[in-house]
Amino acid sequence: MTAPAGQSAAAGERGAAGAAAAAPPAAAVRGVRKVFGKTVAVDGIDLEVPSGAVLGMLGPNGSGKTTLIRMLLGLTRPTEGSAELLGHPVPDATEQALPHVGALVEGPGFHPFLSGRENLRRVAATEPLLASAQIGDAVGTALERVGLSDAADRRFRGYSLGMKQRLGLAAALLVPRKLVVLDEPTNGLDPAGTRDVRRIVAELHAGGATVLVSSHLLAEVEATCTHVAVLQTGTLVAAGELSVLLEAGTGGLVVSTPDVDLALEALRGVGATAFAEGDGVVVADGGPPTPEVVALLVRAGVAVYEARRRRARLEELFARLTGEET
Amino acid sequence: MTASLVETGTTPHRGSAPMGRLLGAEMRWVLRRPRTLVMLGLFALVPILIAIGVVVADRGGNGLIGAIAGNGLVLPVVAMTLMLALLLPLAVGMAAADAIAGEAAHGTLRGLLLAPVGRGRLVVMKAFGVLVVTVVATLVVAVVGVVAGLVVVGGADGTLVTLSGTTLGFGEAMGRVGIAALWTVGQLAAVGAIALAISAFTEHPLVVLASVLGGLIVFGVLGAIPALDWLAPYLLTTGFSAGADVLRDPMSWGDIGGSTLRALCYIAIGGGITTSRMLTRDA
Repeated sequence: MTAPAGQSAAAGERGAAGAAAAAPPAAAVRGVRKVFGKTVAVDGIDLEVPSGAVLGMLGPNGSGKTTLIRMLLGLTRPTEGSAELLGHPVPDATEQALPHVGALVEGPGFHPFLSGRENLRRVAATEPLLASAQIGDAVGTALERVGLSDAADRRFRGYSLGMKQRLGLAAALLVPRKLVVLDEPTNGLDPAGTRDVRRIVAELHAGGATVLVSSHLLAEVEATCTHVAVLQTGTLVAAGELSVLLEAGTGGLVVSTPDVDLALEALRGVGATAFAEGDGVVVADGGPPTPEVVALLVRAGVAVYEARRRRARLEELFARLTGEET
Repeated sequence: MTASLVETGTTPHRGSAPMGRLLGAEMRWVLRRPRTLVMLGLFALVPILIAIGVVVADRGGNGLIGAIAGNGLVLPVVAMTLMLALLLPLAVGMAAADAIAGEAAHGTLRGLLLAPVGRGRLVVMKAFGVLVVTVVATLVVAVVGVVAGLVVVGGADGTLVTLSGTTLGFGEAMGRVGIAALWTVGQLAAVGAIALAISAFTEHPLVVLASVLGGLIVFGVLGAIPALDWLAPYLLTTGFSAGADVLRDPMSWGDIGGSTLRALCYIAIGGGITTSRMLTRDA
């Protein structure tokens, strides 16, 4: 039932990524390393964020996600290596790229004695690409976009964690951006808030913006991202398109059917490798192509309820890459 | 709206928001802060309390306070001189503490750097905010001092009897108060510049306040030790008593000029340290 949707989405992602491959990366780090005292926070990472991609950065706590983002944005200098933001070297020319970059890093930072709207107006006043006459409109639109219009005139002091997070998101979206960097955007958000973040990321992606999201919510990343980078103890253990990473290693065609024995018999008759699993059979890759398998089964009188490619879930992939128990 | 956004978006080298807008935003932020307003309110009480005290005591004491009796326009100058010892520097230190260390503690410094407000412009913006507090705090003391002097203390028919015994008309008296206020702002700006430099190195506003208070006390102690009098020309606090010179006739400019020059040196040093630190500070 969900299979066709999933597959067409995967194909769409591949198409978008393919078109973007020619463009220079929206952001890149080369051999960056960051040492705080004796702690190595980031240990030699090379990573490119393709233009137009939604890249999810995953990793256990303390794996260097935030430090990597901070180096990318010029908030802290790498001990070694170089970074590039929208084609400008960081940190020497960061200020040329930053007007086009919206960021929510290390939680939302605002003043408690000002209301949400006043806080945003103060941020808007510092935005280079915002004309003074547009500030009021831009602030109103951003508040609406994150669902804070009703609480806009309350003091930030009284905001809940989720509302603070929404305001931080609004600040990152004050002007149209080429790149949006969101560090743990769903922190403290309720399910509705999480859905809103997903919608906002999808809107940004549809509008052609590049999005870099760090998260520990794997389901979120799986739902919204085209690309993934997995970090562990300061090193990059995997990076690439989500669909490619998920398909590598596992595979096969899952056929749901009550007639398991009949199906196995028919498949083995044509030399395909197949075994029973759950409510059906799994046909290993390397045999006949999918349409022929389905046709063969139907001809043999097997009731086929569903046939889909088997993809690993991101959670399993993550556990395999970081050596953590699921 | 969309069209104009696209337009400005393609404008090359629009690297930062207009300076005037940044300064305006900073001024609003500084003056909306509840602690600034409470502090200004309390400062307004000081000249009033001095005025009441002088009237109630009703006897000519000695020293500056004694000079106020029956001579109301001396009050603003005396109030500024007295408050320059501790209260006014405290206000300036607080503003400087919030300016950089406070923003870092709230996570808002990051936002300013990411906007981006250029790092050089950020220093200008922050120094301006501290200067606004300095000027407003000084003006509050001066204006309330003049009003309280005329209303509560009264006497001398709106004229000012100088320490030298001559009488100045209201206009000239106001000029003298203005000079004292300007000079006070200069001394406080020196405190502010050093406080801002400390603020650039920490994310704990209290460190800045403690340093300002500690520094003033240490300077005061050093200035009081005779064996260290060679140090006096370098101490900011040495010139803090020069404000009363506007009450002499003719005015003696020597100490006022000297202490202003010293303040400018402190401002240059503080500004230099703040700028060089902010150009490389992590946020």
